[in-house]
Amino acid sequence: MSCEVKEKERVGCINPIFTCQPCGAQFASIGIKECIGIVHGGQGCVMFVRLLISQHFKESFELASSSVHEDGAVFGACSRVEEAVDVLLMRYPDVKVVPIISTCSTEVIGDDIDGVVTKLYAELLPTKYPGREVHLIPIHTPSFVGSMITGYDLAVKEFVAHFAERTEPSDKINLITGWVNPGDVTHLKHLLAEMDVDATVLFEIESFDSPLMPSGNHVSHGDTTIADLRGTADAKGTIALNRYEGGKAARYLESEFGVPAVVGPSPIGIRNTDTFLHNLKVMTGKPIPESLVRERGIAIDALTDLVHMFLADKRVAIYGAPDLVIGLAEYCLDLEMRPKLLLLGDDNVNYVNDPRVRALQENVDYDMEIVTNADLWELGDRIQNRGLELDLILGHSKGRFIAIDNNIPMLRVGFPTYDRAGLYRHPVMGYAGAIWLAEQMANTLFADMEYKHNKEWVLNVW
Amino acid sequence: MPYHEFKCSRCIPERKQHAVFKGKGETITDALPLGYLNTIPGSISERGCAYCGAKHVIGTPMKDVIHLSHGPIGCTYDTWQTKRYISDNDNFQIKYTFATDMKEKHIVFGAEKQLKQCIVEAFKACPHIKRMSIYQTCASALIGDDIEAIAQEVMDEMPDVDIFVCNSPGFGGPSQSGGHHKINIAWINQKVGTVEPDLLSDYVINYVGEYNIQGDQEVMIDFFNRMGVQVLATFTGNGRYDDLRAMHKAHLNVLECARSAEYICNELRKRYGTPRLDIDGFGFEPLGSSLRKVGLFFGIEDRAQAIIDEETARWKPELDWYKARLTGRKVCLWPGGSKLWHWAHVIHDEMGMDVVSVYTKFGHQGDMEKGISRCEEGALAIDDPNELEGLEAMETLTPDIIFTGKRPGEVAKKIRVPYLNAHAYHNGPWKGWEGWVRFARDIYNAVYSPIHRLALLDIGKDEIPTDKGFETQRMLSDADLPDEVRNDPVLREYTGKYNCLKDLRKKTYPPFERNVLAEAV
Amino acid sequence: MSGSMQDKIAQLENYIMKKCLWQFHSRTWDRKRQNERILGMTRQLLLGEPVSTETPEERCYWVDAVTMAEAFKVRCPWLADMSREEIAGLMDGLYERIDFLTVTGSLNQELNDQHY
Repeated sequence: MSCEVKEKERVGCINPIFTCQPCGAQFASIGIKECIGIVHGGQGCVMFVRLLISQHFKESFELASSSVHEDGAVFGACSRVEEAVDVLLMRYPDVKVVPIISTCSTEVIGDDIDGVVTKLYAELLPTKYPGREVHLIPIHTPSFVGSMITGYDLAVKEFVAHFAERTEPSDKINLITGWVNPGDVTHLKHLLAEMDVDATVLFEIESFDSPLMPSGNHVSHGDTTIADLRGTADAKGTIALNRYEGGKAARYLESEFGVPAVVGPSPIGIRNTDTFLHNLKVMTGKPIPESLVRERGIAIDALTDLVHMFLADKRVAIYGAPDLVIGLAEYCLDLEMRPKLLLLGDDNVNYVNDPRVRALQENVDYDMEIVTNADLWELGDRIQNRGLELDLILGHSKGRFIAIDNNIPMLRVGFPTYDRAGLYRHPVMGYAGAIWLAEQMANTLFADMEYKHNKEWVLNVW
Repeated sequence: MPYHEFKCSRCIPERKQHAVFKGKGETITDALPLGYLNTIPGSISERGCAYCGAKHVIGTPMKDVIHLSHGPIGCTYDTWQTKRYISDNDNFQIKYTFATDMKEKHIVFGAEKQLKQCIVEAFKACPHIKRMSIYQTCASALIGDDIEAIAQEVMDEMPDVDIFVCNSPGFGGPSQSGGHHKINIAWINQKVGTVEPDLLSDYVINYVGEYNIQGDQEVMIDFFNRMGVQVLATFTGNGRYDDLRAMHKAHLNVLECARSAEYICNELRKRYGTPRLDIDGFGFEPLGSSLRKVGLFFGIEDRAQAIIDEETARWKPELDWYKARLTGRKVCLWPGGSKLWHWAHVIHDEMGMDVVSVYTKFGHQGDMEKGISRCEEGALAIDDPNELEGLEAMETLTPDIIFTGKRPGEVAKKIRVPYLNAHAYHNGPWKGWEGWVRFARDIYNAVYSPIHRLALLDIGKDEIPTDKGFETQRMLSDADLPDEVRNDPVLREYTGKYNCLKDLRKKTYPPFERNVLAEAV
Repeated sequence: MSGSMQDKIAQLENYIMKKCLWQFHSRTWDRKRQNERILGMTRQLLLGEPVSTETPEERCYWVDAVTMAEAFKVRCPWLADMSREEIAGLMDGLYERIDFLTVTGSLNQELNDQHY
């Protein structure tokens, strides 16, 4: 009876859980207003990431490519970046922020994107675009390091590092959400408002859920401004909700500008949301208002209806982004469920030392496995060949066939969730997220009971 | 002025050579967009890379194969589950994807050892699969791993497996088209001629450039089976690896998507003397003509005619029901490469729609020659369009619908233009007579969507109609139709099933005829 | 009703450019061969001359030629009223026109690429 943390034994990857670093940097960049990123590499590195993001949100986002072709790969492709910046600036007069996101190919050939940026600042910008505010931000995201998660973490830090500027201390705090959905941001901002806390939210992505308007073209993009990013250095503190998606930026602000940082825990479930509110209270001195006590009460009430009757002892496998997976596992335990297998999809060596992982190891009283550097084969293989019995799978859409082929109910959560409608609109964080998760898990189990005629009559009198 | 300058692209004047209006009385010799040239960096082109052209478009539809990409994880992840190329072996190629997960240490020290381990692991993980395709990526190309040598080593050690290697890194060429070429040539060089097939029929073809999107290939195979024609191999949708090794034994190569697969047909013609017959599989008349040509080749055109007669009788009243309601509707036909010419004339002829624009993301000038020839006058042809040009074109052309990819479809949505997925389809298959009706049905449902109509209403400015609790597609489409069309007793809406493949897969056919002609062909 | 020789050629040309694919192989030498063989065979068929279909290659050309000859007859009833000489002239003109559209007048810059 133990919780074991181990690395995937195979060296290769079958059905990856994550894509690579440049995707994370691209996802971060679309959160910024008047920003279009240029990915320096082959065109697929952009085309497919745009497709992936559009699959998840059912929206299109603008990202450009330096379109490195054969000659560039052989002789160096820095000139492609120069041309890309110029073409982009000419045709998109509102664009102010242009991250230059490297990829495996351009890192291997050793293109000096920092040097290109210096050159563009010295030559192109003052001569062709005098008076125009333009920020070129090199972001090194070789695909052979880390994953989309580290790419996101790094990009957030690079954006903050580029803009953050100490002026007057402000009353604001920085809230770095990590890789979340518009529904999360809406709910987090609601919690902040109830706490009467003024915060800079990185990133303001509520408008990723953009309208179809009777007139005018509505391109989806985030709303975080340059001023927001600048002001992060003046904040009285930073809360990074996700350790691995934004933690780097929080620590940067702390070490560079002395902005105190609280990193994690991801406010998934009641307990972690309580901690989040506690952190807000400590950082700002503001009390937790009665309205949130009540909101929490509604959540607890809803959960009480579900836990020991329906959720208790249900065996769950969870895969996806590390903070999400760990947060969900913690929450499932509070809901009396049994996370049996957690899959963390990259080779980050810090997972084993994550205090939350340590706590699982110290306290879980049944067999649980945590696999790092995992792929989805780890899940399918355990179900099909190694006797893992599950009642529920929590994860993103790329694992859908494991659930489908093994007749295991699955709740889509994380990124991407393209095979279910509108999930980006709902939070998994905060009290609202706790309700949504528990009720969706229950409804998923209920539907499965009915399809399989498995004690479906239980629900007659609930 | 045949060449068209987009306002948004005035600052990149070379773009002017990439867009052409088909003027009155003008032909492709008057103006032709440039094509397959290096992309302008930063233009927000829709193009992909040569890796995806090889691996994702052509390689992966092969169904009984472990598809392993040698590189960092992203290339594999990104090209996984973004298409609808299904198969009749439970979609193994959709469900499983394999990567060598190249890391920094491999970039420094090489990843050949890693590659070999991954190959062995993958075969061990999937003991029922004995075939593998390995795809090079940017990273493995740049560090210079010798993938062929490793593959050969494994094949020497594991005699029951066979491995194909495709060296098509993402940076190879202006678009995915570079990858189409590379994998065509790699396949014929490495694999064709290494299996001797059982020829079961006197009439044996390869069906080339068909990727079984939503079951297209299976629809076409049904016709060929009914004609007694053995399809030795399909390149590559729903295709078997070993069948494709035997392509040299077919009597005829029937080529559908010439953009992606003409190369292998040309090589088969050169090396084995197998003729290449280009066909259209979409639309009643083109498909019928295509089957008849295959029939003529073998002297069995009566069998094709029997199918044409049967299918036309069954489905024509349904196609015409939609034609009556789609006539005059404007469409931007904006696919990847081949559908601009496969569809341009036939959606006009058979559905009455006006193609106001064609574009190609990755096509060559040859595709534009075909596409523009098949368009009516006034159509705007665009090569390698970019985001702003697409928006500008939609705003000036005001199409009723656009056929394009998933993500550009979201752009169209925002300016209130309904879209159908030209690559993966909405509710396909769209090949075959029934499929063509399904396409018409999908177009109809998009164009006459009551929600689409509601999207056009500005409740802040417009008079809000309060007299209706609902509208149907039929109320919208038939409002201005003459009574005799509306009440035509012959015409009817689509009557097929949601999943028309289920019954197809259960069908059985009489055995092929062999030696009737004593090796005539 | 049927117009000048030019109009007649235009009608046949329209059919080919709209309905056929054989004229659009990707290299000059290939297009020339396709035009010559397929239009040549179509000419023979319309003139009632014998056509060799012995080799698979010839048979494949013939398939497109015979399809086209049939279509021409259906779409262009005036063909039936033409003499052999007129048909020969018509087809020579058509051949010249298709060669112009697809080869000599083509703006396709890839046509003379050495590789496929």
